[in-house]
Amino acid sequence: MSYGVVLVPSTSHAIRAEQVCHRAGLKVKLIPTPRQLSSNCGTALRFAWPEREAMEKALCENKVDYEGVHLVDW
Amino acid sequence: MAKVVDARGLACPQPVILTRKALAETEDVITIVDNETARANVTHLAEKAGATVTVEQRADGTYLHIVKGEAEAAGKPITLPTAGGPLVLAVPSHIMGRGDEELGGILIRGFFHTLGEVEPLPQTIIFFNSGVKLVVEDSPVLEDLQALATRGIEILACGTCLGHYGLTEKVAVGKVSNMYTIAETMLRAGKVVSL
Repeated sequence: MSYGVVLVPSTSHAIRAEQVCHRAGLKVKLIPTPRQLSSNCGTALRFAWPEREAMEKALCENKVDYEGVHLVDW
Repeated sequence: MAKVVDARGLACPQPVILTRKALAETEDVITIVDNETARANVTHLAEKAGATVTVEQRADGTYLHIVKGEAEAAGKPITLPTAGGPLVLAVPSHIMGRGDEELGGILIRGFFHTLGEVEPLPQTIIFFNSGVKLVVEDSPVLEDLQALATRGIEILACGTCLGHYGLTEKVAVGKVSNMYTIAETMLRAGKVVSL
């Protein structure tokens, strides 16, 4: 199973990003940053990969900064 | 002749205490209860003691016919803990750690997500005090807990605590439990990890 993971600069960005995605009708899950993406203790958002475009659009329109989008195998 | 314990109208954990007492005196007990929590707790106690429970629903209550010693004969041995005892996880709060509430909420969500990906897994997870907010309908970690339950991990929620927060009717995963089972589960554990 593959998922998209968005890395964000801080936990408050993660909370904002989650709210924005929920408002846009996107199902996301707040998760700890997967080890293979960063060794820093951080919070990230997991989403269904086909919704990548809609998600980035939602984040951009609501001015939520993010640091990168990755495809991760679970 | 079975000893009859009429536990109707009695508050938790009285039905369990009275049944335990009766089972210590005789092999054959009928406990009459009038609510689902009492039924589940008495049944759990009896099964743990290696007894067989037959449930009979009557107009005036639920009759639990408990017979000691038959479970083993039926090929259902009592599960004894392994040498070291099982790993038990205690969750006393709906957030992880003290300090910022919002951060604690993120951490607890991250923790239960991660629990699905690491080992060893606990045999039992016990939720008490505001921790019980995590086992109800709108819990932010409900999906993760349901997945853990599907993998055979026992999830226990403190009934007193659910009542205190007015959440008894909203339990969405695991079993409503009492202090007897919670205390026994912790004391029999090889290791208790508390969040």
